[in-house]
Amino acid sequence: METYDVVVIGAGNGGLTAAATLAKAGLDVLLLERHNIPGGAATSFCRGRFEFEVALHQLSGLGTPQKPGLLRTALDRMGILDDLAFVEIPDLYHVATPDGFRLTIKPDRMQAIAALQEKFPHQKDAIQSYFDLLANFADDFIGAFIFRDPEACGEKYPHLYKNAFKPSSEILDAYFSDPLLKAILSVYWGYLGVPPTRLAFAYLAMIFFQYTEFKPFHIKGGSQALSNAILNKFLSNGGTVRFNCGAKKILVDNGKVKGVLTAADERIESSYVISNASQVSTYTELIDPQDVPDAINTEMRGRRLSTSAFTMFVGLDCEPAELGITESTNFLMANTDICDAIIDRMRKLDIEDELMVMSCYDVADPDFSPPGTCQLNIVTLKYGEPWLQIPAADYFKIKYRCAEGMLRRVEEIFPGIRAHIEEIEVATPLTHMRYLGHPAGAIYGYEQLAKDSLFFQPGRYSPIDGLFFAGGWVGDCGFEPTLRSGISAAKSIIKRMGQDRKKS
Amino acid sequence: MKTGIWQEFEGYAEIIKDIEASRKTGEKFTAERFSPEPFIRRLHPERLSLQVAEIISETPSTKTFRLIPKGGELPPFQAGQYISLFVEIGGIRTSRPYSISSSPHLREFYDITVRRVENGLVSNFLIDDLAVGDELVSSGPAGHFYFNPLIHPKSMICLAGGSGITPFMSMIREIVECGPDRSVTLFYGNKTSDDIIFHEELGQIAARSDNINYVPVIEDPADDYTGACGFMTAELITEVLGDVGGKSFFICGPRGMYDFCLPELEGLGIARRKVRQEMYGAPLNIWQYPGWPPEVKPDRLFRVKVKNGMLLEARAGEPLLVSLEKSGVVVPSLCRSGECSMCRLKILSGKVFQPAGVPVRKSDRQFGYVHSCAAYPLSDLEVLI
Repeated sequence: METYDVVVIGAGNGGLTAAATLAKAGLDVLLLERHNIPGGAATSFCRGRFEFEVALHQLSGLGTPQKPGLLRTALDRMGILDDLAFVEIPDLYHVATPDGFRLTIKPDRMQAIAALQEKFPHQKDAIQSYFDLLANFADDFIGAFIFRDPEACGEKYPHLYKNAFKPSSEILDAYFSDPLLKAILSVYWGYLGVPPTRLAFAYLAMIFFQYTEFKPFHIKGGSQALSNAILNKFLSNGGTVRFNCGAKKILVDNGKVKGVLTAADERIESSYVISNASQVSTYTELIDPQDVPDAINTEMRGRRLSTSAFTMFVGLDCEPAELGITESTNFLMANTDICDAIIDRMRKLDIEDELMVMSCYDVADPDFSPPGTCQLNIVTLKYGEPWLQIPAADYFKIKYRCAEGMLRRVEEIFPGIRAHIEEIEVATPLTHMRYLGHPAGAIYGYEQLAKDSLFFQPGRYSPIDGLFFAGGWVGDCGFEPTLRSGISAAKSIIKRMGQDRKKS
Repeated sequence: MKTGIWQEFEGYAEIIKDIEASRKTGEKFTAERFSPEPFIRRLHPERLSLQVAEIISETPSTKTFRLIPKGGELPPFQAGQYISLFVEIGGIRTSRPYSISSSPHLREFYDITVRRVENGLVSNFLIDDLAVGDELVSSGPAGHFYFNPLIHPKSMICLAGGSGITPFMSMIREIVECGPDRSVTLFYGNKTSDDIIFHEELGQIAARSDNINYVPVIEDPADDYTGACGFMTAELITEVLGDVGGKSFFICGPRGMYDFCLPELEGLGIARRKVRQEMYGAPLNIWQYPGWPPEVKPDRLFRVKVKNGMLLEARAGEPLLVSLEKSGVVVPSLCRSGECSMCRLKILSGKVFQPAGVPVRKSDRQFGYVHSCAAYPLSDLEVLI
């Protein structure tokens, strides 16, 4: 039987950084990946002369070499910065509506305030106060959590204590009367999967802070370049990877991890497993029910699956400017009402007036697509459940119908796009389910309400001894959190091994 | 519950209540309810178990195999897509993609239509050895050669060569039998009249359908042949179509046909986005391709070491994937034309030739990954699968 110090299941962002961190520490690591390529969502695919980016819209936490963010520091420690080239995206985001409203917000506090005040002069003071709140909240958050102030209290950090758990819409309502302005300032709910009525203000404030402070980035060669770079480092540090081979079982005996049974029915011995698979399938499929403690089932019962997505990958035979696309990150907004009904629409198959994000990587990186072309990645959030009910025979028909709806909506804002489409690929929630292996295609893992945050949930830990988690099911979603989650899981294991050695 | 400063945050108590309530009312996660696998299998099964239900002789060199599922249902496909057959012939495990020639609305079976190929390992095995009742394993339907209603004009111009007719048969049968609002003008090139597959059926369909136009084109016609002759030239296309605007073009055939037809279409001013091409397998004479180093003879043998695996010999003029298969190394494969990236592997040391135009991801190139069905050894190699 083969033996490894650690088996990592899944080569998504979290699995990759976990494996690379462990291998760098000199451990003997086996990385299992059921696909033939690393990355999970952090991948790309080719159609015709285009290579489409699958998941990365704006990479956070990078900062500059002079002022590095946490992610840059982490990638540097991993030793992969020299293998990658990053492209700073000059806009925070652009908002466009079908009636011709256009606004670009720069990832700079002062410029953002000025641009908003120019468009919304009647809300001038409120805009200033709201940005003051964002800044104060971020200061409080950093003081209390990053610097771990031992004397933290409500008097010292009032903005944090008062507002962290409040729904974002409640704060926006308190500051603004203009619905469009409120909608513009809350578009990032799309990156978290929970509409502003349910999204804790801590999330909205900190994502805004992250991008304005450390700027949004893209990667040359797309997110696949990052995945390939991490895997490469893992291999050069002596790691073993097996592609086209997932895990069938995590072997548990008496509450302790004993190893893994691979899809090829090989038994691998190991005391530690990091699962980068969904937490749901880890506990309901990979581990035998008698080995799953009741506490897990109780805890999981309190969780819901996040939304999935409907995504269109579009290759155009013209430059972005020809179609009036001037920014990298565009939020297309047909309905400015940030109400709870957003969730009802997310539960329907067809696309009506949902918020969409349309990323055009070529604006900041003209080499991204071939000369004279560009690509769009257009996403709207949709729950997977209705797609599970569709008879197989109707699948293509419904997929095209929904895509037609989306395309029509994009054309209302950027007319003439359709006439330039050379390649188009549509990913439904079922597609996301197929490639991620997440139940109902949940792209963000569990739903991200305040109760689902790491303040309340076990995150990477499991009551099963030796089992850890990495990836989007652990806590926060997105590239930076999932990449860092793997490093945390690896460190937990390294620490545990150190303790075990001391004991023995 | 975890303890920390957040216990003092406004709203904390409500969240705790919320968690307690949701743990009582929430749905239990079970594999039966939440496993993605059964849903994926309905649309995109990795493998299909099939059985030959019927064998139809189309021409002296061509047979249609009607394949029914051995249990379960066949997944839906889009007319123009293919399945890849996984076979073991003379101890070699390999695969071949075949377009489905039956209409997508018939899901009791898939038809694949196979023509004998000179030295063709799998095609000739199917034609000579496959019998009714035999079992086969295939991939699920795959490929990107199909009519896309989002962008393709409904007037389809199809250029087929030889066995490249198969995806078009599926498309035409769908239009005739299910009536989507589309029209097809099919230019179908063959060496001689005897080579034409589905000639009679196409003639009948065209005769009774206003929206199907069938133009056989014979390269080497008999003396009494009265139809279109030679190649599918811009002149012929214009003569048949008149105006070439507002149409979508689809090409499927041997490589030489693309080399000839694509410039013809370009010459007619047809934008690249309006032309879809099916893949055509590995090139036969790779050493004649631009960029091939003349000092490397196609029959030269190189040693290939598979990391943590065996050492084998590989011929320069043969795709690495094929050499690996001949030595018993199974590499996942699907399109075998460089496109799908299923046979992706990493070159740890040594050099390979990759013909221009193979869609390999930028960062895969950076880190030494190749599509082994479209990579040819130019030196001894070490590879990671």
